[in-house]
Amino acid sequence: MLSPAEWTIVALSLKVGGVAMAAVLPLAFALAWLLARGRFPGKLLLDALVHLPLVVPPVVTGWLLLLAFGPNGPLGSLLERWFGVSVLFRWTGAAIAAAIMALPLMVRAMRLSIEAVDRRLESAARTLGAGPWRVFWTLTLPLSLPGILAGAVLGFARSIGEFGATITFVSNVPGETQTLPLAIYSALQQPGAEATVWRLSAMSVALSLAALLVSELLTRRVRRGLHVL
Amino acid sequence: MIRPLLVLSLVVAAPAAAQGRPPLVLAAASLQESMNAAADAWAKQGHPRPVVSFAASSALARQVEAGGAADLFVSADQQWMDALAAKRLIVASSRVTFLGNRLVLVAARSNPVRIPVRPPAALARVLTAGPLAMADAPVPAGRYGEAALRSLGVWTAVAPKVVRGDSVRAALTLVERGAAPLGIVYATDARASSTVRIAGVFPARSHPPITYPVARLAASKNPEGEGFRRFLVSRAGKAIFTGYGFTPR
Repeated sequence: MLSPAEWTIVALSLKVGGVAMAAVLPLAFALAWLLARGRFPGKLLLDALVHLPLVVPPVVTGWLLLLAFGPNGPLGSLLERWFGVSVLFRWTGAAIAAAIMALPLMVRAMRLSIEAVDRRLESAARTLGAGPWRVFWTLTLPLSLPGILAGAVLGFARSIGEFGATITFVSNVPGETQTLPLAIYSALQQPGAEATVWRLSAMSVALSLAALLVSELLTRRVRRGLHVL
Repeated sequence: MIRPLLVLSLVVAAPAAAQGRPPLVLAAASLQESMNAAADAWAKQGHPRPVVSFAASSALARQVEAGGAADLFVSADQQWMDALAAKRLIVASSRVTFLGNRLVLVAARSNPVRIPVRPPAALARVLTAGPLAMADAPVPAGRYGEAALRSLGVWTAVAPKVVRGDSVRAALTLVERGAAPLGIVYATDARASSTVRIAGVFPARSHPPITYPVARLAASKNPEGEGFRRFLVSRAGKAIFTGYGFTPR
């Protein structure tokens, strides 16, 4: 099976993917909510901006992140001043890259599940005296929860597969930013390392497949929920 | 007088440093096996094992330009080191060109082809018998290969047969997998592969010199970084790289 060094790579990938997904979840939900329910000028533009990382070459995203989070960049200088930290060459930077790349997929899935919630149920709850927060917590959120989780798992799957933006932004540092795809890339540069490439690739496929299956099962629950309504 | 003092202070500082953070080294992808071996050898001497990030020299240099705090940069060409030097991101006095490489033609071990360097017509005939694998034009190995073929007078004839890999290792893979009978790679790549052999070595004067500089980054705060740099450029350090096919400088 995997060597201890390879398990470290898998563990790091899970950490980066998990943290990226958890950290971006609230933002993804807020954006999904805005896009599903909001009516405001510039909604089309926001929609396009959210989807940008899905279509822009990852190397561009990575380069822009590098400019933004460098100590002289707008976000990097703030992190430096407020917390005295830098994300370059660190796993936190890898998580930022993964989160940005996962965001569009998460927003898409969540938006669909929010749109699938029957607004008439919400109106009924309101006429029965529930305030907007109560409607949200006891009705909208539980009904859209499977879709939100499906989106989160999909985002996680995208995170652990992130390559281009990560290597451009935070390099290929073993133990910090060398996640599964970067380790596979490194092994591919080495003649004779095919066994490593196979093992890491198999692990990568297994993790992605598991995440996609979970996401798909959750999505089906959303659809079934629709029929019940 | 200063030298012994410095050595003494390094010796005195060593036990404390050994418990310190390992230095972060940014190294060109083509150095993967050899730099890892050097890092292991350094660690055997009781130092924290350097953490090495392998990527294209260009990507690493851009990360340094953005303000990344690493300790050493080892580039596969002078161009990117010059770019960092111009922005005062490296310590100029620490820059040493410590390795060289040769450009070679590789063929599958089972392929008995012989490469005639002259006359150009004979060389062109062998090179155009099938696809010729090379690194992409912006990659140093691709540039050197084109320069060598030009100076040997065969580029115009060979150019239509060239297939490009995005790195020199990708070009090597094309030959390993039989997609191209011949490829232009570095001597070190040929050495690393067990399925290809060196069918011919380009004359050193047929292309610009292939050199690898190392330098300490201006932002480096870890004394272990400077220690490792000294080890790399020392005779013992270079010997490790020579074992992987590099030429010491």
